[in-house]
Amino acid sequence: MTTLLTNPLRVGLRQERVISPQCMVIFGASGDLTHRKLVPALFELFRQRRLPSEFAVLGCARRPWSDEEFRAKMAAALAPVIAEHPVAWEQFSQGLFYEPVDLQQSEHLVRLAQRLEAIDRLRATRGNRTFYLSVSPEFYASGCRALAAAGLLADAERSRVVIEKPFGRDYGSAQALNKVVQACSSENQVFRIDHYLGKETVQNILVLRFANTIFEPIWNRNYIANVQITAAETVGVEDRAGYYESSGALRDMVQNHLTQILALTTMEPPGRFDAEAIRNEKAKVLQAARLADEDEPWKCCVRGQYGPGGSAARPLPGYRQEAGVNPNSTTETYVAMKLFINNWRWQGVPFYLRTGKRLPKRLSEVVLTFREAPVHLFDAAGGAPTPNQLILRIQPDEGADIKFEVKAPGSGMRSRPVDMAFSYDDSFGEPSDEGYVRLLADAMLGDPTLYTRSDEVEAAWRLYTPLLELIEESPWQLPVHPYEARTWGPAAADNLLAEEGLSWRRP
Amino acid sequence: MSAQLTLQAPLDVPPAEVGPYLERLWNDGLEGSTGAATFTLLVWEPSWLEQQMVRLGRVEGPIRGLDRDDVLQAASAAITAVGLPLSTAPMDPRLTWALGTLPGTQQSSDQRGQFVESAISAHMPRRLITLAPTLEAGRPLETMVAAFCPLPEEGSAGAACGDVIVLRGGLGAIQQGLPLIQPLVGDDLPCWVWWNSSLDEPPEMLEALAPLPRRLVIDTSLGEPARCLDVLTERIAMGQAVNDLNWLRLRSWRESLAMVFDPPSRREALAHVVQLDVDVEGDHPVKGLLLVAWISDRLGWHLISSQAVPEEKGGVDAEFQRTDGATVRVRLMPVPVGAPKAHPGAIVGLRLICEPPSRPHLCVILCSESGGCMRLESGGMASMELAEDVVPLPEEKEEVEMARLLGGGHDSTNPLLAAVAPLAAALLPR
Repeated sequence: MTTLLTNPLRVGLRQERVISPQCMVIFGASGDLTHRKLVPALFELFRQRRLPSEFAVLGCARRPWSDEEFRAKMAAALAPVIAEHPVAWEQFSQGLFYEPVDLQQSEHLVRLAQRLEAIDRLRATRGNRTFYLSVSPEFYASGCRALAAAGLLADAERSRVVIEKPFGRDYGSAQALNKVVQACSSENQVFRIDHYLGKETVQNILVLRFANTIFEPIWNRNYIANVQITAAETVGVEDRAGYYESSGALRDMVQNHLTQILALTTMEPPGRFDAEAIRNEKAKVLQAARLADEDEPWKCCVRGQYGPGGSAARPLPGYRQEAGVNPNSTTETYVAMKLFINNWRWQGVPFYLRTGKRLPKRLSEVVLTFREAPVHLFDAAGGAPTPNQLILRIQPDEGADIKFEVKAPGSGMRSRPVDMAFSYDDSFGEPSDEGYVRLLADAMLGDPTLYTRSDEVEAAWRLYTPLLELIEESPWQLPVHPYEARTWGPAAADNLLAEEGLSWRRP
Repeated sequence: MSAQLTLQAPLDVPPAEVGPYLERLWNDGLEGSTGAATFTLLVWEPSWLEQQMVRLGRVEGPIRGLDRDDVLQAASAAITAVGLPLSTAPMDPRLTWALGTLPGTQQSSDQRGQFVESAISAHMPRRLITLAPTLEAGRPLETMVAAFCPLPEEGSAGAACGDVIVLRGGLGAIQQGLPLIQPLVGDDLPCWVWWNSSLDEPPEMLEALAPLPRRLVIDTSLGEPARCLDVLTERIAMGQAVNDLNWLRLRSWRESLAMVFDPPSRREALAHVVQLDVDVEGDHPVKGLLLVAWISDRLGWHLISSQAVPEEKGGVDAEFQRTDGATVRVRLMPVPVGAPKAHPGAIVGLRLICEPPSRPHLCVILCSESGGCMRLESGGMASMELAEDVVPLPEEKEEVEMARLLGGGHDSTNPLLAAVAPLAAALLPR
């Protein structure tokens, strides 16, 4: 068994890039995301000495809190971490401030600008500001307008704005929001966050493809038969019913997370490793992606909704029985679909995407299945040789497997499949940073490589427009198939692949 | 290429007039421009090597005070000419001293303080103060002042301006000019002091320039080893934020060694180290000692004894006790090299031998890209698992490393360096 000791020599070596003096301004500071993700991520960066001494966090929300109240609330939320690092928290919390701000009130913005100048003087933050819009999506546009009107986005080098997902509800609304945002700031100031891109293993797709020579020559239609991308969750809707009822799995998972993984898996090699080169390639491949049947999209997509399940001892409610959910809801909690990418590299290769709640396992993976050997020379233990597969495990048990055939021991010449496995745990044995740690650091560094650009967002929405229109206009053509909680989704999803003689990988 | 940042040619201003002139400059000349609310950078910039090289006609002027490849090449060529061992690093202060004994009268213009690496200027220092002592000891104090604003073509719309102040003259004159410094530094912005020279220089100057809470940047590869480590440890003990470029240059060695033990299956071996060997260039052991101290600190070893290796100048034999009471033998050896790196005491190789019970013994050998591991590879390792790697050479100039510090600094010393420095000092035989 592997001994999971930490590597004492690794301590303090994650300081490759230096964040400039900075004030992180969080709008929506009284909300969940601030104390669950953002402030913990910033504290982690502080503990790793990746934040400069000249750093401050200014929480902004409508509640009339004081600096002390804000610090106390953050301290309460982070209590278990603070108990391990009380001295670090003492230092970090000196840089926490709060300003009551309603983004719709211009006088509040004037006051905010004055407060920021005062913080610049107090903490020597040099006018570098990252504005994080952790507010309800309907305030993204007005929030950007308010910041621009107050002159807070005028310096394109020193001010940035981070916008949470969802960025729009469809192609039209994403375009409209992009227009507003771009009128208020330049594209290089805008950081549209997709926390999936903060995961080490998602980033590793780029490294695996473009730092090695053995994969890229076979990474195309000549060798790859099909690709499956899965993001499965075991949890149900939990306390997000209000949001989820109006979004569903397609908007919540596919349009952003799965599409970003699709883009990283299928993009052309960038000429260099910089944000624009990478985002150019991602946008290009998304612009070439199409539903497998755009004219009759119901043929290439299956929606599902989890019903009750579990065991007698531990029953699980169905989606419609969850708190806050309409008992007649037709919101999908599962979606599977087939896509093509119409370019030289991928023409004709089907891409199958699926995601769902209350599935049997929590996992995200990309499975590239290679074409079969042209001639079967050997008997296979399983009847026919198993096609080679490259499996990129994004979570949990992060790593990669290659499945290939070997000779089974014995006097005959029978083949059987085996795995060659790479595991992050076995090779590095250190927990990766939470995605927000990496992404917040990147935003403060002004590095948008792992953020989505306007044309990527629009291309992603455009890709699913036929489905969104269908759901809106004639939902009966794309019904939600019920599936039992903790199963792999509706049977109809299997039929998507069965037509091609394929099946979903059972991880 | 380095950018000349000054908006105007620096203007000679009498020392007493510097303050009033700057006030006028900001109130009238730069009306409407706000000074950058960033930091002050105070640089001790004697550039003795460059000055000597120019004086001897071995390189052409002007004297600029930046890392120059031609100066290093000329210095390498001069090492044997002045009778120093081939392993002497071009930046070794002994070379500068020896060059100072040679005759030469070439003159050149002195533009120290006027050229700043673009990586540093990108951080928009509010004030750059350069102290530029001259070879001519009796030269009177000259003070020059200029404003600079990033040029529009540098893509710096909205950027703020700063100013440049140069104090030039003989050592005595500079010392007389020191009272000018404090009012120029002010208290409202962080101040960095870059001691861009040997630590053997008069300690009063360092004391005067770098009181608390100014952040100090030094290079412990330059100067007599005991003095280097004493300055480092004393300053850390005072509570000053100290950055050591010599320590920062160890990053690739630390990373390479950490990488060997990233696989959890190897980690247990770290608790069973029995021997550590480090080879360094020339006879300057500080960098090697910092590396040994870092390893021993991270692995929780306790120093038992340390002594000079007989008849090997710069060699150190030490003994540590592991947390389980077992002994670790450490040897730091100076090795001769034909083409030393710029700074004295660069690491040539490292060997770590671990003897975990009931598992194959492990020998880790790391060697420098430009060196080799032959010495460390010799002797009795056939039965061990061998992990061997080449450590890449850092390619960045001092100014880039400095810019990284300025880009986002800390007001306290890195805790790793704070732990390592006293241990390295204790390892040095006195």
